[in-house]
Formats: sequence, structure tokens, C-alpha cells
Amino acid sequence: MRTARLLITTGLLIAAAALVTWYAVKPDPVAGDPDRFITALTAPSAENPIAARPEDAPVAPATGSLGPSSVPSPTPSVPPFTISSATVTDARIPMRLRIPALGQDAPVVVAGVDEAGEMEVPSNVTDVAWYGFGPAPGQPGSSVLAAHVDLAGQGPGVFHRLGALEPGSLIFVDFADGTTGAYLAEARAIYDKDDLPTDALFSRDGPPVLTLITCGGGFNRSLRSYDSNIVVYAVPVGDEGVRGVLPA
Amino acid sequence: MRRIVLTLIAVALASMPATALAQSEDGTVTVVHGVPDLSVDVYVNDTLTLAAFEFGTVTDPLTLPAGDYDIDIRAAGADASDPAVLSETVTLPAGANATIEANLDGAGDPLISVWVNDISTIDAGNGRVTVRHTAAAPNVDVLANDGILFADVPNGAEGVADVAADTYNVKVTAAGDPSTVVLDTPLTIPEGTNVIVYAIGDLGAGSFMVAVQSIGGLHTAPSGVPSGTGGLAAAGLPMWLFSAMVLGAALVVGGGLVAARQRG
Repeated sequence: MRTARLLITTGLLIAAAALVTWYAVKPDPVAGDPDRFITALTAPSAENPIAARPEDAPVAPATGSLGPSSVPSPTPSVPPFTISSATVTDARIPMRLRIPALGQDAPVVVAGVDEAGEMEVPSNVTDVAWYGFGPAPGQPGSSVLAAHVDLAGQGPGVFHRLGALEPGSLIFVDFADGTTGAYLAEARAIYDKDDLPTDALFSRDGPPVLTLITCGGGFNRSLRSYDSNIVVYAVPVGDEGVRGVLPA
Repeated sequence: MRRIVLTLIAVALASMPATALAQSEDGTVTVVHGVPDLSVDVYVNDTLTLAAFEFGTVTDPLTLPAGDYDIDIRAAGADASDPAVLSETVTLPAGANATIEANLDGAGDPLISVWVNDISTIDAGNGRVTVRHTAAAPNVDVLANDGILFADVPNGAEGVADVAADTYNVKVTAAGDPSTVVLDTPLTIPEGTNVIVYAIGDLGAGSFMVAVQSIGGLHTAPSGVPSGTGGLAAAGLPMWLFSAMVLGAALVVGGGLVAARQRG
């Protein structure tokens, strides 16, 4: 009888200890305040991307006859037109992504859109994709770096442990011009793929945000696809900006 | 003139989403100069708004309240009281993005054309190319990378297409005659941008050229980020927890069996 009681007690203890340990170490997919980033990135001109953008409305010079003393016209008066030559801003192309907290140092490749209309992600587990149609890291809007969490036959990817990257972790991006930008992870979120806030994640307006994306959540073995995306939001620190560029 | 105004309104209504009409009382106007050998002053509602405007030039877009505007074009430096070379009343509907162009018709006579620009959003990865034939020239074909993009375009007409964002070799040829190339140039179509190319000037007089206007900010987001097929990171119970639970259950069952045997 003593043997039986010992076996049952040990079994229950092992199960209980395992559950407690799992609960303690299991990463919470959400950390920080990700909704703050969604709000900040969707706020500017979300309805109509070209309506009332500041750069579309040049300020009229103080010359001409349209000042306060001009005679009121029955039809709307107009400021002078301006002519500007096209200027090409040399976007800083990211070359490497380093996340010391995850032990990752990976090359970055420029990516676009695949045939399904989704963001291209390299077909390997070693590269990070930068959405090159959007802003470069540090520019206004959300600069997206995506990588695989894993690939069938290739094993874990660069962002395998992105779901465990904690707010406060530093992220570094090495640029083609030899400079390095530093970013501070501030929030982590998990979104069902059907409800991914793509307009915010790929926003080209708003405060500069570095957005890291991979897959996560449940895995459908027949489709070989995860049902969610894990997203980490980071803000520039150091030379590129100060902590707290987003409204707290 | 009445025809132009009505056409502009009709096209604008047809091409604008209802929300854009409802939320904006302003319209956007760009001016293009496509009449060769003529430097002009542009008056809007009797105010000089664009001085010494040169052939081939495109202004920045200007946001204006919706409404009627009287456009008068005079030779550069002419007195404001001089008769205008060209005059037109243009209606700018709320929310419209319009281009006002002084150009030549097919016979080489100058006129004011009003275009409504397609500012609907563009699928991620694509750009939009608009070609407007506003030169004194016969009908043309427009080729991109040697494939026909727009065929048999007459003066006063336009072609609009969404294409993958890229740099294309663009050729303009006489309609149906690929050997008569009147223009051969690389053209970059940036993602989320409507690149509007105006064929202007007089082909016979050697002043045929293009002016280019760009309207950005029409991009949309990709529909998703597919970034895993392995299943190694799937949420759910990790293998060690599964093993521990199995071990615990086995011990409990074993203990039960022992107890049952001892009792029996």
C-alpha cells in the first residue's frame, strides 16, 4: 500500500511541477503596449492617403496680390503655383540585423510583394527581408523586417525566438553607408493572420517604428502554415531619435 | 467649354470613391505646359499665379477649394489687360485630382485640356502608368519593354494601366508601325505612384517631347507576411511538458494497479 501511495504521489507531483514550470516559462505572446503603435501608425491620413498631405499643399509666398488688402473675389482666389525639380532621397538600405538578446546577426535582403499579394520573405531561414517599398529603418512610418520562424526541412529561422524578445531589448541595423541604427524593443503582439493590421504595419507615415514580423501561434500541419503573426515594435534610440517618440 | 466642364464633373464623379467626395471640400490641381515655343503667364481668376511658364514644365500640385476657376493664358510679360491667348472656365469638383494642360490638338492648334487623374489605391508592389497624347502628331502606339501597352492612341486620349513597379523601356511609335519610333526612353514606375506621361509639342516641327507628372501615396499594404512552414514554434504544449505529464500519469496508473493487486 505504501508503494502504491508513493507512486501516485510522485506521479501527481511530477505532473504538477511540470505544469507550474511550463506556466512560469511559457512566453506571453503580448508584451508592452502594442496598441499604441497601431494607433500612432494609423492616425495620419488613414482614409485617403493623398488627401491633405502637408507636402501636397505648398504654403503661398507672401508676395503677390492675394494679401488681406485684395478685393474679395466672388470666385475662390488661388495662391501661385510652384515648380520644383524632382529630388531623390537616398534611402538608407539596411544590410544586417543584429539582436544580441536572441544571439542573432543576419544579413538583410530587399523584398517586395509575392504573387499572392503578400510580402516576400526569403525562402531560407538565414536571411531577413526588408520591405523595400516602405520606409528604411529610422524613416517616418513602419519599417518592416520579416524573417521565418522556421521552414520545413530547414529548421529554425532567424526569428525563431522573436516571440520571446522582451521589451527593453536592443536591436541594431547596419546600413549600406556604414552607419548603424539602434532601436529599443517596446512592445510585442500576436495577431491572427486574418486580422493582421497591415495598414498600420506597413504605414509610410507617422513616427519611425522598426517592425519585426514572423509567424507564430497554432500550426496547421496539412497547410504547413501558422495561424498568427508575431510582431515586435521598436523605436529608434541614440543618434536617430530619443526614446519615447511615441505618445506614452 | 461647357462640354469640358461637364465631362470633368462626370469623370470625377465616376472615378472618385464616395467617401473621398464626402470628406474633402478641396481639390488638387496641377498645371502642365505643352505648347511649344511659347513662354506664358497663367492667370487664375484674374490673378497671375504662374509667370514665365515654359514649354515642358509641370507644376507642383496645389490644393484648392472646389469650385469654378477662370483660366487665362497670356504670352509671358503681356499686360494683364491684354486679350488672353487661351481662356477656359474649369470646374474643380471636391476631392478631385485634376491636371490643367495647355497643349496642341492634332492639327497643331493650342487649347486647354482638363484631365482627371486616377488616384484610386494601387495593389502592393504595383505602380500606375498614364499616357496622354497631347501633341500635334498622328495616332501612336505605346510599348513597354517592346510589348504593346496602349494601342492606337489619338490626340486628346489617354491610357491608364497598373503595372509591376519597375523601370521599363518605353517606346512611342506611329500607330501600327513599330519601325517609326518617335520616343525611346527608360521610365521608372515607382510603387504606389501614378506616373503620368504627357506627349507634347509638334512632331512635324521637331518639338515633340514628354512631360512627366507623378502622384505618390496611392500604395496599399501587402496582405500578409508568410514566414514559417516548419511548425517548430507552434503554440501548444512543448514536448518536455508532454513527457512529464505522460510520466506522471504512468506513475499514478502504476500506483493504482499496485494498490489494486495488493487489495485483491
